[in-house]
Amino acid sequence: MIDLAIIGGGPAGQAAAEQAAAAGLSVAVFDEQPRPGGQIARQPPAGFTVPDWLAGRAYAEVRAQLARFEGLGGVAWHGGTAVAGLAAGADGFRLTVVTPDGAERVAARRVLVAAGCYDLPVPLPGWTLPGVMSAGAAQAFVKSQRIVPGGRFVLAGTHPLMLVVAAQIVESGGVVAAVMFDQPLGRCVARALADPLTIVRHAGLFVDAAAARRVLARAGVPVRFGRPLAAVEGSEAVAAARFADGSIMACDRVALCYGFVPQADLPRQAGATVRWQAVAGGWATAHDAWMETDRPGLFVAGETTGVGGAAIALCEGRLAGIGIARSLGRLDDAAAAGLARATRRRHARLSGFARMLAAIADPAEVLARVPPADTILCRCEDVTHAEIDAVLATATAPNAVKLATRCGMGVCQGRMCEGALLRRIAAADGTAPGAAGGFTARFPARLVPIDLLCGLDDVSAEAVAD
Amino acid sequence: MRIAGTERGAPFTLFVDGEEMAAFAGETIATAMLADGRAAMRRDRSGAPRGLFCNMGTCSECLVTLRGDGGARRVRACLTPAAPGLRVETGPAA
Amino acid sequence: MLIVEAAHANAGASGQNAGSLHFQIERRFLEQGEAKAAEAAAITGLSRMAVDDWRGLEQALGADLHVHMHGGLMVAETADEVAMLERKAARERAAGLSAELVDGAELRRIAPYLSERVIAANHMADEGHADPRAVTPAFVAAARAAGAVLAERTRVTAIARRAGGFAVTLAGAGAGTVQADQLLIAAGVWSAGVGALANVHLPLFPVALQMNVTERVAPFLPHLIQHVGRRLSMKQAHAGNVLIGGGWPSRMAAGDGRFDLSRRPELLAPSLAGNLAVATAVLPHVGGLNLIRSWTGTTAITADQYPLVGAVPCAPGLFVAAGGSAFTLGPTFARLIAAQMAGGGAAAEAKAALAIAAPARFDHLNSFMGG
Repeated sequence: MIDLAIIGGGPAGQAAAEQAAAAGLSVAVFDEQPRPGGQIARQPPAGFTVPDWLAGRAYAEVRAQLARFEGLGGVAWHGGTAVAGLAAGADGFRLTVVTPDGAERVAARRVLVAAGCYDLPVPLPGWTLPGVMSAGAAQAFVKSQRIVPGGRFVLAGTHPLMLVVAAQIVESGGVVAAVMFDQPLGRCVARALADPLTIVRHAGLFVDAAAARRVLARAGVPVRFGRPLAAVEGSEAVAAARFADGSIMACDRVALCYGFVPQADLPRQAGATVRWQAVAGGWATAHDAWMETDRPGLFVAGETTGVGGAAIALCEGRLAGIGIARSLGRLDDAAAAGLARATRRRHARLSGFARMLAAIADPAEVLARVPPADTILCRCEDVTHAEIDAVLATATAPNAVKLATRCGMGVCQGRMCEGALLRRIAAADGTAPGAAGGFTARFPARLVPIDLLCGLDDVSAEAVAD
Repeated sequence: MRIAGTERGAPFTLFVDGEEMAAFAGETIATAMLADGRAAMRRDRSGAPRGLFCNMGTCSECLVTLRGDGGARRVRACLTPAAPGLRVETGPAA
Repeated sequence: MLIVEAAHANAGASGQNAGSLHFQIERRFLEQGEAKAAEAAAITGLSRMAVDDWRGLEQALGADLHVHMHGGLMVAETADEVAMLERKAARERAAGLSAELVDGAELRRIAPYLSERVIAANHMADEGHADPRAVTPAFVAAARAAGAVLAERTRVTAIARRAGGFAVTLAGAGAGTVQADQLLIAAGVWSAGVGALANVHLPLFPVALQMNVTERVAPFLPHLIQHVGRRLSMKQAHAGNVLIGGGWPSRMAAGDGRFDLSRRPELLAPSLAGNLAVATAVLPHVGGLNLIRSWTGTTAITADQYPLVGAVPCAPGLFVAAGGSAFTLGPTFARLIAAQMAGGGAAAEAKAALAIAAPARFDHLNSFMGG
């Protein structure tokens, strides 16, 4: 049995591992990506050499953390490994971990889920055409796999990250037709100016956004505001983006960027209490001041607790690492409080910026729009809005709608459709999204080949001790 | 389009729906396909093509079939490394 | 008619079961020696009726229920298992079911997908599966069309037995008190709790099972597959997913000295591995498919494993329909219990058909319960 299993090798997981290892804990980190970094610092493959990789100022802190993490002793890195199951055991937790070659059970006294987030899915006509992808998807190809995954991009959404992604595409030699913000510029400015002190404190990040805009301006890429994307057009693949004002823009890729929702499968599977995120939706896992959930021994950090960005994730990872060492008796209360003090102050400062960014990127208006009836809501099972609405007349419990329509029964386990469904239910019965819970989270959190599970023994204590 | 200035791993070829395709060690199947201009990775129930959406293993839109001697397997193209001689199919799941 | 449902229609085992239509004598009745196997053959009478009920159900309800009755195979891997199958098939044929033992080239022809380890199978042409997602809603619609009212999100909180009927107190969305001449408890695993409100023991024991489903794949498995010596039930659903179960346990929550039915049962790793290993041994192709979901659900069994369907003798007007096998036999139970409750000429025949499931066999438990 190991002391700590960390799920997610991004900034939060790395920071927690650093603290836990410093306190003498045995730590194993699991991530589906082959190398540590998370989505924010998704590294190129080991055999690649990339000059000036993520050289921008916005990445300085996560790169420094990554360098420290990769130099750590006593932390076992398990890349290319999915955690499909998380359940409480007699004296800790049992994880079901899966690689392409096999599955095994891992026992750990404490578990930290620092699984990050994913792009908020927003159903709209044509969004299932090949060539429509999340902005995060496009960005990860540029950062890590070092391709521009298309010929001519339109970026559409509400989140300022679009500017950064577009600039990265352009700087990599790609073509961006336009960056189209759904909301008017005035609203962004008003929401930013509502908290001028935060702008001053986080001036560096605004400088990065401004730098991205300069890159786009030099390349002649238009950045427009108040231009909601209405549909993606094409027959076999993306041919154009159509906007609410009727304008049509030819392209072969549309990257959507409306914000982010937490990866919540594992805390929900383990029975931890989760809460619906205010605007973008998704389930944020509840926790105490040491990042422990209401399932004793299960900790969370980073976007799993609610989307706040990498800097906050680093803070929360540190707090979780210290808290876990404290909960295992490796740090006394005073020592833990001392170690955490500066991090708690920084976390509080950063929260203001996260709130401002969320206010600027606010997708509420987008999510309130009802797409045409034949728009696919559940991508795995091809369930349309019309099919959902037909059932909502008689059933509004999420699991009942799932059973009646197959919405959420597919391979993604409802990650792509649950939010949209819960918003439809809320609109139908006048409640708040998520008020009546969501789908029941089931094993496995990621699809697993059956033959790998057949030989699954019960816990092997030494499984990750090396 | 592969980004210039990056040194990649060893080149090799794989097969997508029987067509030869170039890739470099370290690339995923999805990368090899998109770099080759192939965005469609599976078919939905109506037969319509679907492509990668999240590129991080979350949405499973990029499920492709790997054909091996021992049978077929469905894998997420965004997480699965391309490998020499790999046979990838984008038709309906069998 | 008022139908009271604590959650929503199809929320419990009706919607969570895997949709098998199995008419062979089940393996669980063969586990306890020849005497039990011989006695259990009596259940085939209900199975025979259920075959006809399912053949006509889509037409009767006017709905597509994805009923596939393309045959079922109960497979054997060893000589002992084959002998068990032979004895079973003989009993089934004697009861009028279409059991036929197949092996060798004939088995490969019928089921080329089976592993070489399978040396014989009992083939029953009427077996198959239907879609639990569709069946309950179709019954709801038919019941409504017949004048029944469905009160969802409504719980029964008290039952007073009165001369000539019952006063039933309801809480939740349909709160109030209703008078009923007759009462049918068909609350699955919660039936015993509802019985307690009427001061009767309904001796049902909750059991928690787990099931598994793969991603959708092109049709390759037309049959319902069961195993005579190991726990397995497997079929490819209408949508293309392969459903794998067969009575593997999950673990019920417990608290306050009893099982807690309000909490989701916990998936058991040995059941998961064991179930999938049997499935792959019998049908190797399944090993290459992806598991997308494993789920748990609760059902109820009786001490002798036969269902509990019929009148409760100590409480006139009170009926029960519970105790397992209620997907395959559910439409038949419904038809027979309705006939029994309606009285008249068909009642005696219906009662006779349900003899093996009659609550009267446990009525001694209620001899100390008062009125």
